[in-house]
Amino acid sequence: MNTFLILLPLILTILFSLITVPVLVWMERRVAALIQDRLGPNRCNIKGIRLGGLVQSVADMMKLVQKEEFLPSHIKNKFYHIIAPSIAFMSAFLTFMVIPYADNIKIESTTYYMQALPIDLGVLWFLAFAGLGVYGIILGGWASHSKYSLIGSIRAAAQVIGYEVAMGLSLVSILITYGTISLNEMVIYQTQNFFYIPAWGIFIQPLASLIFVVTAFAETNRAPFDAAEGESEIVAGYHTEYGAMKFGLYFVAEYIAMAASGALIVTMLLGGYQLPYLNTQDLINNFDLILWILIILTIVMSFLFIGWIRSHNILVLNGLNETKLYTSFILIFSTFFVILMSYYSFGYGGANDIGVMILQFVIFTLKLFVLHFVFIWVRWTLPRFRYDQTQKLGWNILLPLSLFNIFITAIVVVGVNYGS
Amino acid sequence: MQNEIIFILLAIITIVSSSVMIYAHRPIDSALSFMVSLVSIAALFALLNASFLFIVQIIIYAGAILSLIIFIIMFLNIKDENLPDETHKNKWLMFTSIIILPFTYILIDLILRSDIQTNSKLPENFGSIKDVGLTLFSKWVLPFELVSILLLVALIGSVSLAKREEK
Repeated sequence: MNTFLILLPLILTILFSLITVPVLVWMERRVAALIQDRLGPNRCNIKGIRLGGLVQSVADMMKLVQKEEFLPSHIKNKFYHIIAPSIAFMSAFLTFMVIPYADNIKIESTTYYMQALPIDLGVLWFLAFAGLGVYGIILGGWASHSKYSLIGSIRAAAQVIGYEVAMGLSLVSILITYGTISLNEMVIYQTQNFFYIPAWGIFIQPLASLIFVVTAFAETNRAPFDAAEGESEIVAGYHTEYGAMKFGLYFVAEYIAMAASGALIVTMLLGGYQLPYLNTQDLINNFDLILWILIILTIVMSFLFIGWIRSHNILVLNGLNETKLYTSFILIFSTFFVILMSYYSFGYGGANDIGVMILQFVIFTLKLFVLHFVFIWVRWTLPRFRYDQTQKLGWNILLPLSLFNIFITAIVVVGVNYGS
Repeated sequence: MQNEIIFILLAIITIVSSSVMIYAHRPIDSALSFMVSLVSIAALFALLNASFLFIVQIIIYAGAILSLIIFIIMFLNIKDENLPDETHKNKWLMFTSIIILPFTYILIDLILRSDIQTNSKLPENFGSIKDVGLTLFSKWVLPFELVSILLLVALIGSVSLAKREEK
């Protein structure tokens, strides 16, 4: 049990970064289809089971893995060419290490941290490895010996370096407000109330939050800031000369970077793993009540889902009957969970701490996926910025705004703390 | 024991990458091996429990300064024939190492004589962000501000040099 609790955050890190990539690819396609009024990929199946199209991204992944590994013959720096995608991947993966997935849990006088790397320097760690991720892009573009790749990587590097300044400065004002740089303490700070609204970063630092979200989009090289891989001008940017799994690593790195900045935004600006108005101690004390609410929610949601799938799943495929299978799965699972939860809610077992921890994981995951939805939503609605517009936005608008925000924040914080 | 093994590994990586940085022919090789040595020095800081220095080393040196250097190297588009002729490099290196040798001896001797204990217990908040901040802004506040003014002057100077209009 102890070993499991220590390993749990590491397992969750892998789950939230690597395992969510196929889910994110699927979300990207289905949300894009939703926005463009299409259906998106939904025909790929294994014996009639489509999982809403999720099988498509698994098939895609298998394709990338099985492709022939080739190296263009004009490449002289083979070592740099091969190592570049792994640098991008590794630094994207490492940024995830400091995100708290739940509050510190205390079992038999031992405290377990729900961060993979429980250091106090959470935000700085993120900045450090987000900055190292540029090397993957720079090296890949340079070692490819192609004009398109070089232009793409120079664009990406200039953009990341420029936006890192604004990101750091907007972080400074958030840090002044919270008075800490440890991510877990930030989440605990956000459980307070500020004139009847929860003291989430997005409410008490709206300007810094806006700047931070914009710069986080730019750091991950995603639309609308993806001039580095603008296919209408420079083919595919820095990964033009990459194929098979080397391209796959860049692809995965982009999604992991997106997931990591989403997790950081959730932790710093949206209250992390906490529900508004309720801190961890409240959750533990009123766990019975929460379980009853959850039981009712589970029953209602499963009936709604079954009704929805019966009326909407009309495509008939050979093989197993999907509607029947899903219905029985949902019924079995919800019965199991209802029995489990009612066992605890009648007071037969005392697992409040663990229960609250699981609840906080679920809250964190839900918030994270809402944010992923926003990332995808932005990508498919906003047109791409021209490259000079990107630079102008970073240096001429976001940088002065964040400096101004630091000034205002410092005055307010000093003024509030002056008397005491 | 584990710490010693990690320390020896990191030390070897640092020394090898630093010598590769000096010895390499192409600038990009030098820059990248410099990055490896910086990251391994950061890891040495982490081994000493100075996590703030570790992060700062990665953010500032490896993340900012070196990416600028690599950026410039890429922009210059150096071809192999543009690189200087380095046929006598080995002789030069040998010569300079012989000159440096006595100073190295003095340095090692000083380190061995100083009261640095290898297994001494560090204070509780050594190298933590609060400690570093308090020291910097109370004891060393004047040098700190002077250094920032110096950096500002350098910044303004480079901008004015770059923006100078031709007559």
